[in-house]
Amino acid sequence: MSGPRALDSGIRLEIDRITCDAYGTCAELLPEGIDLDEWGYPVIAAGNVPLHLVDLARRAADSCPVLALRLVRVSIPAAAAVGQAAGDRRPETRPDRMEGTPPWPPRPASRTAKAGPKARRR
Amino acid sequence: MIPRVLAGPSPAAGAEPLAGHRARLGDLPGRADRAHLIGMLDSAGLLGRGGAGFPVGRKWGSVAGRANGDAVVLANGAEGEPLSHKDRVLMASRPHLVLDGLELAVEAVGAQRAVLYVGSEHSRARAALEHALAERAAERSRTLPRVPTTIVSPPVSYVAGEESAAVHFVNTGDPRPVTVPPRPFEKGIGGRPTLVQNVESLAHVALVARFGDAWYREAGRAGTPGTALVTATGGARPGVLEIDFGTTIGELARLVGVASEGGPVLLGGYFGGIVAGTDAWSLPLDPAVLRAQGSGFGAGVVAFLGDDTCGVTTTARIMDYMAGSSAAQCGPCVFGLRAIADSSARIATGQAHRDDLTRLRGWSQSIAGRGACRMPDGATGLLASSLRVYEADWASHQHHRRCSLRRAAAVATA
Repeated sequence: MSGPRALDSGIRLEIDRITCDAYGTCAELLPEGIDLDEWGYPVIAAGNVPLHLVDLARRAADSCPVLALRLVRVSIPAAAAVGQAAGDRRPETRPDRMEGTPPWPPRPASRTAKAGPKARRR
Repeated sequence: MIPRVLAGPSPAAGAEPLAGHRARLGDLPGRADRAHLIGMLDSAGLLGRGGAGFPVGRKWGSVAGRANGDAVVLANGAEGEPLSHKDRVLMASRPHLVLDGLELAVEAVGAQRAVLYVGSEHSRARAALEHALAERAAERSRTLPRVPTTIVSPPVSYVAGEESAAVHFVNTGDPRPVTVPPRPFEKGIGGRPTLVQNVESLAHVALVARFGDAWYREAGRAGTPGTALVTATGGARPGVLEIDFGTTIGELARLVGVASEGGPVLLGGYFGGIVAGTDAWSLPLDPAVLRAQGSGFGAGVVAFLGDDTCGVTTTARIMDYMAGSSAAQCGPCVFGLRAIADSSARIATGQAHRDDLTRLRGWSQSIAGRGACRMPDGATGLLASSLRVYEADWASHQHHRRCSLRRAAAVATA
């Protein structure tokens, strides 16, 4: 991977799957880490949210019409984790994602405008 | 192999009465010995028998550590897995072993209330437990303190046995899973820390309490101690058996009269995985080994599918059952399992759309982990294993619209 290494925020995104109603707002606000499946339900990138995207992730969570998305602290952030691998500690809840989910992208040089959200079938 | 929880009179003889149970096994140990029960369960290495295989001692310790003497214990006998019969057989034939384990759990975790959660289709099991509770109520001297114990029966449902669904049903009458955390051991029935433990696990506890952790470890093989109840189908003598952990699938096949070696084997039930016969025969029934194989011991289902049955049709029927059994709460499960069932059915019946098999392969990887409970994980895990083991059959159905084997295995509900 090219680009500067993304710092681990120690925070992961979790979805309340029962509450989630496929509004898709989260994927529009955070396309770097949230994709939508063919039915419009979110697929979250593997691992913790990179530090530089935490504010956007929080905005995505706050904007969910049914408040199904939340940020959960699972480990200490990379900045504070001197001598400790940030991924060492087990998340408190089980992984909310599938095997092989693409990871979060590396930190971009500057945030560029993304293409609009994908057409949805809902 | 020597039976343990099924030792004594034949299960076919019905419920063992309290007098017979006491005469055969003796009383539970005194209070001083019972005080170390959780530690004994840890060193016995007893694993839960509801499907997840979580260490029993650790689970009890978590509840005990959170409760201030006001926990709840739920004995899980929902047994909604269509291929499993071991819990209903156990409850119907050894109700006092289950109740001994329940009372030990109540004392060990510090509970004020106990619930027997028995699937409403298991009428013999429920009757046996009701009668057993009445026998105990009439008894004069008692070893253990008694707490209010009720029998609760959820409607017939695949997901009602999931632990958050069980707690939800007792709390609200809705037998559907809820989003966790909080998990039942944190906040369960009536908001109290709740131990949800499979009935077979409780029966093993009743024996470990009497005979000790070293005794428990005398059975079993290759690092996985103890015995387990299994439900075996597909042979001439199908049924519920007690085996040593580590018994190979080939040995079990001979016990239940499977005629030909080499057919694929469905392990763990509709939540499990299919293993090719060539790999399966020498595999030990050991949760750790099976998990490493991409399958699982689950609740002890071993279904011999035979090599003359159509794996595609069998899988399509199971997928249809799973889609129909979704609690219909989470989008990826509702839409994903239905899409899988529809595509599988088209492929099985020679009406495949051009991209059906490709899409099935994608869904077998993209839906797991995206529900409140593990329903989508279970269904897609089984699908993925079927796509591997029956790869040529799926391709033949998809591309040539034909199958040389017309029959579906009897394990699939029509």
